[in-house]
Amino acid sequence: MELLKMKNIVKSFSGVTVLHGVDLEVGQGEVHALLGENGAGKSTLMNVLAGVFPMDSGEIIFDGQPLTDLTVKKSEHAGVAFVHQELNLFNDLKVYENLFLQKEILTKLGTLDKKKMIRETKELMDELGVDISPTAMVSELETGRKQLLEIAKALHTNAKLLILDEPTTALNNAEIEHLFTIVNRLKEKGKSFIFISHKMHEIFTIADRYTVFRNGQFIKTGNIADTTPEEVTLLMVGGSSSASEVYHTRELGDVVLKIENYSGPGFENINLDVRKGEVIGLTGLMGAGASELLQSIFGVNNADTGKVWVEGKELKGGIIHEAMANKIAMIAANRKENSIIPDFTLLDNVSISSHMLSMRKMVIHKKKEIGRYNRMKEMLNIKSAHGYNDLIVSLSGGNQQKVILARWLNTEADILLMDNPTQGIDVGAKAEIYRLIMELANQGKTILVNTLEIPEIQKIADRCIVFYHGHIQKILERQEINEENVMLYATNVKGAE
Amino acid sequence: MGAENKESKGFVKEITSRIGNYNFVFIMLAIFVAYLIFNQGATTWSGVMNILRHSAVVGIMAFGMGMVIISGGIDLSVGSMLALVASFSVVVFNTTNSVILTFLFAIVFGGICGLLNGLMIGLLKMPPFIVTLATMLIFRSIAQYSLRTTGSSIFNMDGTLSSYDGFYGFGNAKILTVPVIGLVLIVVTIIIVFLTTCTKFGKTIYALGSNAKAARLAGVNVNHTSVMVYVITGLLVGLSSFCWCAMNGSVDPATLGKSNEMYAIAAVVIGGISMSGGKGKLLGVLFGAMSYTIIDKIIAAVKVDALINDTIKGSILLVAVIIQIVVPMIRTRAKKAKH
Repeated sequence: MELLKMKNIVKSFSGVTVLHGVDLEVGQGEVHALLGENGAGKSTLMNVLAGVFPMDSGEIIFDGQPLTDLTVKKSEHAGVAFVHQELNLFNDLKVYENLFLQKEILTKLGTLDKKKMIRETKELMDELGVDISPTAMVSELETGRKQLLEIAKALHTNAKLLILDEPTTALNNAEIEHLFTIVNRLKEKGKSFIFISHKMHEIFTIADRYTVFRNGQFIKTGNIADTTPEEVTLLMVGGSSSASEVYHTRELGDVVLKIENYSGPGFENINLDVRKGEVIGLTGLMGAGASELLQSIFGVNNADTGKVWVEGKELKGGIIHEAMANKIAMIAANRKENSIIPDFTLLDNVSISSHMLSMRKMVIHKKKEIGRYNRMKEMLNIKSAHGYNDLIVSLSGGNQQKVILARWLNTEADILLMDNPTQGIDVGAKAEIYRLIMELANQGKTILVNTLEIPEIQKIADRCIVFYHGHIQKILERQEINEENVMLYATNVKGAE
Repeated sequence: MGAENKESKGFVKEITSRIGNYNFVFIMLAIFVAYLIFNQGATTWSGVMNILRHSAVVGIMAFGMGMVIISGGIDLSVGSMLALVASFSVVVFNTTNSVILTFLFAIVFGGICGLLNGLMIGLLKMPPFIVTLATMLIFRSIAQYSLRTTGSSIFNMDGTLSSYDGFYGFGNAKILTVPVIGLVLIVVTIIIVFLTTCTKFGKTIYALGSNAKAARLAGVNVNHTSVMVYVITGLLVGLSSFCWCAMNGSVDPATLGKSNEMYAIAAVVIGGISMSGGKGKLLGVLFGAMSYTIIDKIIAAVKVDALINDTIKGSILLVAVIIQIVVPMIRTRAKKAKH
């Protein structure tokens, strides 16, 4: 039985049609994957369903009832719950307070009935099989738990359909597994899900059916069992060969980055030689130490012991400017928080780091600056509405990330540390970034990529370093890199030698 | 019909976007027109030029405030700092009989006061509101306390000194009908606008206020920038103090600069700089400061009680903020209506 039928939905913003009459049908007790590149119209359609944007035309039938003039309240009341990518929780409130926000249970005296709310929260958590204390502060929960709490919040409103918008971006593999167990359990109870993700293996693990959008148009819907990741990817990108092999063997140069007995916050006793032109994939469970290692090399944090040499020169460490002066760049994780300067134009965002390396020349040479920007724009294929004066926040995630890449290429760095560089960007932009990484390696740049996505490492890396609890568990050569192998080491099933 | 409609919408959009970017000019012009009306033809060229001169003391320090606010901070101490630096400048002038030494003293002493704020805020990461609230109390108190020993209620420049006429003359002289102090304000405007738009240091101020964490990871020395904005503010307050002495010849540490931090913040806000940091044009500060001077002139022209002054200034500030919020709203409405 169909729970949701959206027919011929049209939506436009400022004269630009974003949805050209798309359809979506979700059955009772079904996990439905909604697929498409960034800008394909997935989020817009979900916002229409959640009552955030009014649609221009079309028809929505939910649970047998037509929904017209949707508002957020109406949609919620009907049984649609939107679990957002950015968590909408109040960090300084307790778990049960978040759950009962604006739905507080009162005693006869009109004061809060904390006992009852805590008890109900406990029951809900037990039902979900989630081990979260109702009285814990939300700020003390890990990201994975917060995500589960969001879902609990949705269930608490008696939602029939939960929209999960990239719920796994911030989760480690164990947490993802837990999330999927819960989704499956709820599915059996008849709840439906719309699942938005860029990670193919997740979609093929959890989803029953799928719908693909491209450029705001409906492309195809079908059963997951009848298709393959390759076919779906092809549908999403529209036949372009973005999933093709990019890796090729190259001559590597001398050792340019040498790390010896290096310990610091989050990692210990790291020994590593990296050669010029090499691409190294770093991975492990979230918090295993790869990200922390990159941060210490770049001087964000102070290391405790050990040494780092760049081209034979020892770094003092703990000073970002020193790392930059030695031609190290870092594309930080969490673009929005750590990379983007939201009030800056594209030009300023690209130029800022190279300015910092040439502070002696105080005045900005605008013409040169624009010339360099244009070269970067061409090389990285940065797409913006008007030009270099656009604000960076007006760009799509993929283009924002390219701007950040441009910022660091503009410093003419030789060693690029990339911390989760494809986070939250679509398949097409991801493929462009892989290609670019290979191209840069070809030009002799040395690249360290930290990512939780193993297929990504398979695409580009010469070697893969698997972290476990802060130390290097295993260094895999290219031919040894496969998902199974990496996971065995990352979860300590196979030990360090 | 359709084409005409489109054209008029385009026109509306054009106007609203221009006003959105430069509404500080319109606010000042509106107040200026009010001044011309209330003054009933008594407006003279030198009266208009005096607007510049009388905007200088608050205007110069407001440029510092503008940079501090863009960097994400606040400096409540500028008014008291003005009293302190100007008081001691008078003492220095009376003992040295040298305009140059007085000038250097005012600038350096202002810079040191600013450095004090900057070190606590930029290096020790203390909250700027609290730090400058404390130094606001301290600076004025020191100025008043040191006056105690002189037996007078104000610091008076010694009119019998040989340099006095030159110093006082500087504060009241004109070049081609333009007051010299007004020119100082213009020069400061040019320097600050250049510093914030054309130099790498200027970009770091905006980066710091926009996203301090990202700025640091992009290689910006955020500690240095946040100390420097307070130091520059101190230097500018030093210059303001020097101008005050040249213009007035005396300093009352109990009243000089009182509420000036608020006027400076208001000039910054009218100038279109966002209190949340990261955006805004320093050029607006000049217009914001002049707007307030013109209000003073209007009140003098209509001969109402000067105590109503702050009611009007406060109201203008509210109107300016409303315009800054409403104009973009109308613009988005117009955009929506178009489709």
